[in-house]
Amino acid sequence: MSSQPRAHGPSTQTGDPVRDSALALVPTVLDAYIPLSRAVWLEGPLGPALLELVRLRNAQRVNCVFCRNARYDIAKEDGLTEQQIEWMGSAQGRQQLTRRERLALAFADAYLDGPDTLSSEHQAELADAFTAQEIAHLSLALLLFNTFSRCAVTIGGMPESLPVMEVSLPPA
Amino acid sequence: MTWFSQATTRDDVFATLPAFQPGFDALYASLWSQDAIPPALLELCRLRIAQLHRCDVEWQRPSIAVPEAQRENLQHWHRHPAFGAVERACLDLCEVYTADPAAITDAQADAVKAHVGEPGFVALTEAMGLFFGLTRLSLLWQLPPEAAQ
Repeated sequence: MSSQPRAHGPSTQTGDPVRDSALALVPTVLDAYIPLSRAVWLEGPLGPALLELVRLRNAQRVNCVFCRNARYDIAKEDGLTEQQIEWMGSAQGRQQLTRRERLALAFADAYLDGPDTLSSEHQAELADAFTAQEIAHLSLALLLFNTFSRCAVTIGGMPESLPVMEVSLPPA
Repeated sequence: MTWFSQATTRDDVFATLPAFQPGFDALYASLWSQDAIPPALLELCRLRIAQLHRCDVEWQRPSIAVPEAQRENLQHWHRHPAFGAVERACLDLCEVYTADPAAITDAQADAVKAHVGEPGFVALTEAMGLFFGLTRLSLLWQLPPEAAQ
């Protein structure tokens, strides 16, 4: 992974880390991404705590240092704890999570590892535990999390490590 | 039909989220309307990602036109004369991106930027992310190949 950024944000700074990043070089895409991202966090059938678990699983696998160490304040407010985040990282720990949390993470793992790895048993369990609308929401959330964490890795310029930081959604 | 609903297409799946579908459509459309990199280069990368995933539904999905010689010979872009330097730079980046974005070298990124600048490089990166994810979702949802039509 490149420690030097391969693209640079605008010289004018707004104070919002997303709008000040290299993503601002393509405002057409950024202006469409931000409202969709906010809607996915705030308006869907799944709550921010479950979405944050999925986001952090993606961040671990993609190894995006920024994403891995960020914690959305709305997820904390929705009840997500560091203990749950720790449990997420191992098969044994996952047994401590709820059935829906475990299944959502299994869905994320299949997306990340290869879509043919989602077993028919997991498919049946997911279809039993989640509505079709919730699975669509989970899919769209994962699509955005994965797309923009892979962007961050590709654009580069990440430090080796960061402390855990609480962050807020970019303003609309 | 997917394993979780009666949906047979990507639009059907996202139609269950009426609050989000216009936003998703706007984001996807923005890839094709941005002016940092020609859309034909994005389409080549979209097709290559579908090919690398052996994803028929994304390979067949109607999109913008690319020259038939490029579509037919995409697997051999390294040596086929239908591909010029800018296509090769983007496809080289695309293949490594698909496998592991952390493995992209500065030289590969520089090769793309030499043709399309930093904005084009960022637009390509964003587009590859969405194409990669949408391909994975098509496979994960088990959309039938005719879903592309």
